[in-house]
Amino acid sequence: MKTSIIITTLLLTSISLFSQTAQEISKKSMSATDIGNMEMVSTIHISDSKGNSRVRQITTASKQFNEVTKMLIKFISPAEVRGTALLIYDYEKQSDDMWIYMPALRKVRRVVSSEKGKSFMGSEFTNADMSKPNVNDFEYSMLGSEMYDGNSCWKIQLKCKTEAIQNENGFSKRISYIDKNIFVCYKVENYGFDGRLQRIQTIRSYKKQSNGKYFAYNMVMENVQTGRKSELVIEKFQAGSQLSESAFAPTALEK
Amino acid sequence: MEKSLLIIRYRWWIIIATLLCVTVCIIPLSKIHINPDLESYLPSTMHYRQNNMIISKIFGNEEPILIVLESSDVLNPLTMKRVENLSQALSRMTVFKRVYSISQTKNISSENGSMVVNPVVKYIPQTTIEREKLRSEIKKNDLAYKLVVSDDFHYALIMLSSNKTMADAELMKTIRKTVDKFPGTEKITITGQPYLRDEANQKISRDLIILLPLGLALMFLLLWISFREIRGVLLPFSVVVFSIIVCMALIPLFKWELSLIGVLIPIMMIAISNNYGVYFVARYQDLNANEPDLTMSEIVQKSVSYLFTPVLLCGLTAIIGILGLVAHLLVPARQMGIVTGIGISFALVVSLMFVPAVMSLMKKGKPHTNPSAKSNGFFYSILRGSGNVVTYHPKAVVVTFSIFFALSSLGLVIFKVTPDSKSVLPKKHPFNQAIDIADKHFGGNKIITIMFEGDAKDPKLLRKLDLYETELEKMPNVGSVTSLATLIRKMSTALNDSNDAGFNKIPESRDAIAQYIELYSMNGNPEDIEQFVNFNYTKSLLTIQYHADKISEINSILNRLDALAGNNKASQVIGGYSLVDKEMNESVVTGQNYSLLFAFAAIMLLLSVIFRSFIAGIIGSLPLVFAVLCTFGIMGWLGIELNIVTALLSSISIGLGVDFTIQILWRIRWELAQGSNYIQSVINTLNTIGRGICINAFAVMLGFSVLFLSSFPLIQSFALLIVISLFLCLVCALVLIPAICILSKPKFLNKKLKSNSKIFKLNKS
Repeated sequence: MKTSIIITTLLLTSISLFSQTAQEISKKSMSATDIGNMEMVSTIHISDSKGNSRVRQITTASKQFNEVTKMLIKFISPAEVRGTALLIYDYEKQSDDMWIYMPALRKVRRVVSSEKGKSFMGSEFTNADMSKPNVNDFEYSMLGSEMYDGNSCWKIQLKCKTEAIQNENGFSKRISYIDKNIFVCYKVENYGFDGRLQRIQTIRSYKKQSNGKYFAYNMVMENVQTGRKSELVIEKFQAGSQLSESAFAPTALEK
Repeated sequence: MEKSLLIIRYRWWIIIATLLCVTVCIIPLSKIHINPDLESYLPSTMHYRQNNMIISKIFGNEEPILIVLESSDVLNPLTMKRVENLSQALSRMTVFKRVYSISQTKNISSENGSMVVNPVVKYIPQTTIEREKLRSEIKKNDLAYKLVVSDDFHYALIMLSSNKTMADAELMKTIRKTVDKFPGTEKITITGQPYLRDEANQKISRDLIILLPLGLALMFLLLWISFREIRGVLLPFSVVVFSIIVCMALIPLFKWELSLIGVLIPIMMIAISNNYGVYFVARYQDLNANEPDLTMSEIVQKSVSYLFTPVLLCGLTAIIGILGLVAHLLVPARQMGIVTGIGISFALVVSLMFVPAVMSLMKKGKPHTNPSAKSNGFFYSILRGSGNVVTYHPKAVVVTFSIFFALSSLGLVIFKVTPDSKSVLPKKHPFNQAIDIADKHFGGNKIITIMFEGDAKDPKLLRKLDLYETELEKMPNVGSVTSLATLIRKMSTALNDSNDAGFNKIPESRDAIAQYIELYSMNGNPEDIEQFVNFNYTKSLLTIQYHADKISEINSILNRLDALAGNNKASQVIGGYSLVDKEMNESVVTGQNYSLLFAFAAIMLLLSVIFRSFIAGIIGSLPLVFAVLCTFGIMGWLGIELNIVTALLSSISIGLGVDFTIQILWRIRWELAQGSNYIQSVINTLNTIGRGICINAFAVMLGFSVLFLSSFPLIQSFALLIVISLFLCLVCALVLIPAICILSKPKFLNKKLKSNSKIFKLNKS
């Protein structure tokens, strides 16, 4: 009896320890890649299962002003959408503000929406993939260690705590492969609501920035259910932003 | 050597070969697969089916399913919550590419210089004021009103788009389970092709499980009543069972599947294949009673030499008629023609060889006279009466038939071809109830899709799509028309203020359209827009939602589309399941005409050959023309539509009905050859073989009447029509043909008989 109590206690303790470890590793991973302010030029290649593809080149600038993170996205190509711009004010405690500028309309239009678009720029990436997850929304567990692309990685599972969190994030669970040494994530497997593998994200070409953080220059998201694939290639990157607050004003979109 | 001697000499070989063949055929029976997919019944070369395939290749092969919730007011909190719960649960399933209900509907508008995108239902209204406010908002929203909420607010619709990755049964089980998970007082009905296929699949199995044993039991009873002797029952019964096994085994052997029409196959075999064996038992009983000194071997020899040719001819006429189905356009009808043709051939061979071979091994039973063969029986009274009428008033008979023919044929004016697959299930079935609600309170349950080739961002093309929408929405049967133009126009109302030039308009420049599309793609699911335009923006899809009860209503939409296309027809591909459905039902008419023509031509040729006279071919075909046209006329009067099953009856009834005419004509000729005049010949004919023909006809009708118990209304209609049709063939053969013979005295009946002319002997006993 005594032995079994000891074994059970040990098991529970070790599970708890592993659980804490998994969450801590995830937190460290988020921190390792938390760039903050930045400016970049990127190209998104979106392809369908038949091999057709669309290419979009965009510039992105993101900067924190007090409690607001302001993000400016502008299309460079293709020519037909060149100049189209999107400005997002991401508040901590209220819903986002958003403005768009379409060269064809020659005016800035505010977009009032209680709903966030699920897809990022019409690609296989979701907005949830591009933002930091709320740690309290998930149950973390350690699935073990595995080699990925020559790197020794932790295999960590994130499970949505409620159905509402699943709906918000668009997955039921995620399995991440996190480097044991530098805590960057190389691969994320996203599972659908039915528990089937839905999308696989591979993250490559990490470069250490001047602030000690890592930034990935290549990300691929493959939807294994539909055969669609999106690749985000960062052509130019700069940690931090020199842009003034006025560059993030709606009136600046037309310029 | 005589056939009868050969059969006796090789009887063991015949028995072993027959049993071996049947045993081998049992093996593939377990591999029979049911195919309830009506669309697959059409050859892949059919126009709209091909178009559908082309469109599916580009825009995916999704299938819509509609869930209808009925409530006194769908805006009441409980119903709203149920719609929300169901929509949310269903949208989490990967099998549904899209789920659309009032819970998902957005309100896209322009307010105070801003583009406002909000859900129509921000929260579930709890008070009357909140409810009425929401009602007026819904009425203004063309993405919700009459699309997911009915005009009278009694019905709410959840539209699902299945990606076909789940089997129909599993899919429907999943939907039902989800519906049960969120119980409520609302009545729920479902419609959609997966539901139809699942129901049809279950009902085909149910029909086979119930109708086949019932048909066999009925046949067993009929044989027992006729012969009151175990061998009299078992021998013809074994022919029936063997031929059903062989017939059904051919389906998987040919790598075919059992269709809805396939339910008819075993029942047809029960109705037809017992006939040939019955002749041998009847002859055996006759010889055993009248010539008691004969040995069993002698009885068999006499029976074979007496019956071989007439039974063969009887079988051949049935096979030729049924082979008419091979000329049909529907794939399962062709398959049925081949399978039953071979099945009847097998039944014929077994009756001609296996039955006498087994009989020759049996001991002689007690002499047994047929209890129904009394001269004061029911059939005798009827036949005597009709004989008198025919002989004394032949003109009146012809006139009466002509009047009946004319009156019945008038029904052809209101004769209808079914426009869709609604008639597959009963009228009150939830599948059809949901269709009725969609037709009455929403835009309709039918869809036509048109794929346009060309640059989807070109304002010219979008304006063309816009014109199609405007023009088609003016048509009374059209509920809604949606395309990329709808989306762009809608966006223009949100991106521009009402006094802007671009408000509610297709933008003038290609760049503007590209930017609208980019904005839409940025904010939604990337695949959402691909229900309107392909990935490369080179093909656009326009969807017409409509309702139609008649093929003419569908054709009027197609004519409008034709007019709108003008000289640019090549740049558009028109498809949609409703058109495949229409095509299937139209092909039923064409297919029926082909098989009718084939059957008529073959039967006329056969009659001309048998009687060596073309006139015989014409006179002999008269009952068939009469029966077929009157049956169609009666269908018109009774409101029974021509569908994939009822269209088969003409070739089947021709194949079976011609037998009666051949026997009557042959016997009249024989009587004339014996020196009787026409009147006496007719009376003798009716008094002798008339009874046999009646028993034969009623046995076949009884066999088919099992189909009244089918779960499919179209098979029940078939049962009624085949019984009517066979009855008309019978009456024509017994009354009209003798009257015509008396009046016209055709030359071919006066030709001298050849010594081997034995067909009349069939029913002599």
